Amino acid sequence: MQKIPFSLAQPGMILARDVIRADKPNGPPICGKGLVLTESLIERLANLEVQSITVHGNPLGIDGVKTLEEDLESLERRFRLVSDDPLAEKLKNVYRDYLVRTSGD
Amino acid sequence: MEDFRNDFRNFILDTRTLPTLPGIVSKLNSLVENSKSSLQEMARLVSSDQVISARILRLANSPSYGFYRVSTISNAMILLGVDVVKSLILSSSIFEIMENSILGLWEHSLGAGVAANIIAKRLKLQECEEISTAALLHDIGKVIIRLKLEEEYEMLLRNNEEKGTASDLIERQNFGTDHAEVGGWLAQNWNLPEKLSVPIRFHHNVDETEIHQVKASVVHMADVLIRASGFSRGGDTCVPRIQPTAWNRLGLNDSILSEIVEELEDKLVDVKNFSMEIHATDDRQT
Ligand SMILES: [Fe+2]
Ligand SMILES: [Fe+2]
Repeated sequence: MQKIPFSLAQPGMILARDVIRADKPNGPPICGKGLVLTESLIERLANLEVQSITVHGNPLGIDGVKTLEEDLESLERRFRLVSDDPLAEKLKNVYRDYLVRTSGD
Repeated sequence: MEDFRNDFRNFILDTRTLPTLPGIVSKLNSLVENSKSSLQEMARLVSSDQVISARILRLANSPSYGFYRVSTISNAMILLGVDVVKSLILSSSIFEIMENSILGLWEHSLGAGVAANIIAKRLKLQECEEISTAALLHDIGKVIIRLKLEEEYEMLLRNNEEKGTASDLIERQNFGTDHAEVGGWLAQNWNLPEKLSVPIRFHHNVDETEIHQVKASVVHMADVLIRASGFSRGGDTCVPRIQPTAWNRLGLNDSILSEIVEELEDKLVDVKNFSMEIHATDDRQT
């Protein structure tokens, strides 16, 4: 699974996560995971100004998306020195919410 | 310790080993001072140097500024402003070094530029381009220390990676100063405007500046955010403390923060892509 810039979307790629509008992050998904991209679907998403999508496989050949558990674990590791800082704690929670919300697995 | 710090300053600013400034900079400066010279004249001057033009356009098209496409120097001058273009000329030689020096510092800097741009726009601040540029350059002190001390500095950072101690702390223990101050010296030495040099100088201690505190606060938050995202390291692996002065000065809260994080994560995909493209072109050229 890999998050890629929308400009690199190709027909045949399979969505691994729901596509959400960048300007309405809490709104309903425009496209469900599991859907196979087609020319016309790509065009439609482009019109909605979608910036990035997460697809199955590793089409760009860079490190793919990790599991939610792995992501949360490295989040804790990065914040380990500032556990006594209430503001850093806020930021960590924002990130945790983000990771959980976008994981969709 | 004070003597040590002074010695280190002289060592850093020793021009014999400092990268030479492109001659175009002094010509540009005299054009800027002459109020009669037009933006077009300045653009023509910069365009006459192809290597520098290419570097500027490359940075102007980086995700840190979020423009659609900047294809000419005069466009870059209009969109970014003369101050920004000038500082990009000055820093482009340093950027060249940055891409190949401390692991991930280039990506960290680009990412911080993007984060700063998002924060500045979300808070409707003035001079967004200057703020992005300051964030893009905020760790320039690290590059110059790396350049002067070579592997010794990298070893120092690497040995502390396990513990996660902040690089500025390690630097103060070892050199009596840190990369923020070193970056400030450099920016002053280059006569960069204060709106750029101050945020660079104070990105780890925002409450010590009276001027440009908002800009310094944005750069501080951008640095924190990009480290929180785990996007790239650049000599630091852990999230630093958020300075309450910066948080309050910008009037941040949970909901603004989560909007910013959302947008940042989305844009970071572009940053990754941009930096891979750059590396690919560089590999082809060398
Ligand atoms: Fe820094
Ligand atoms: Fe930094």
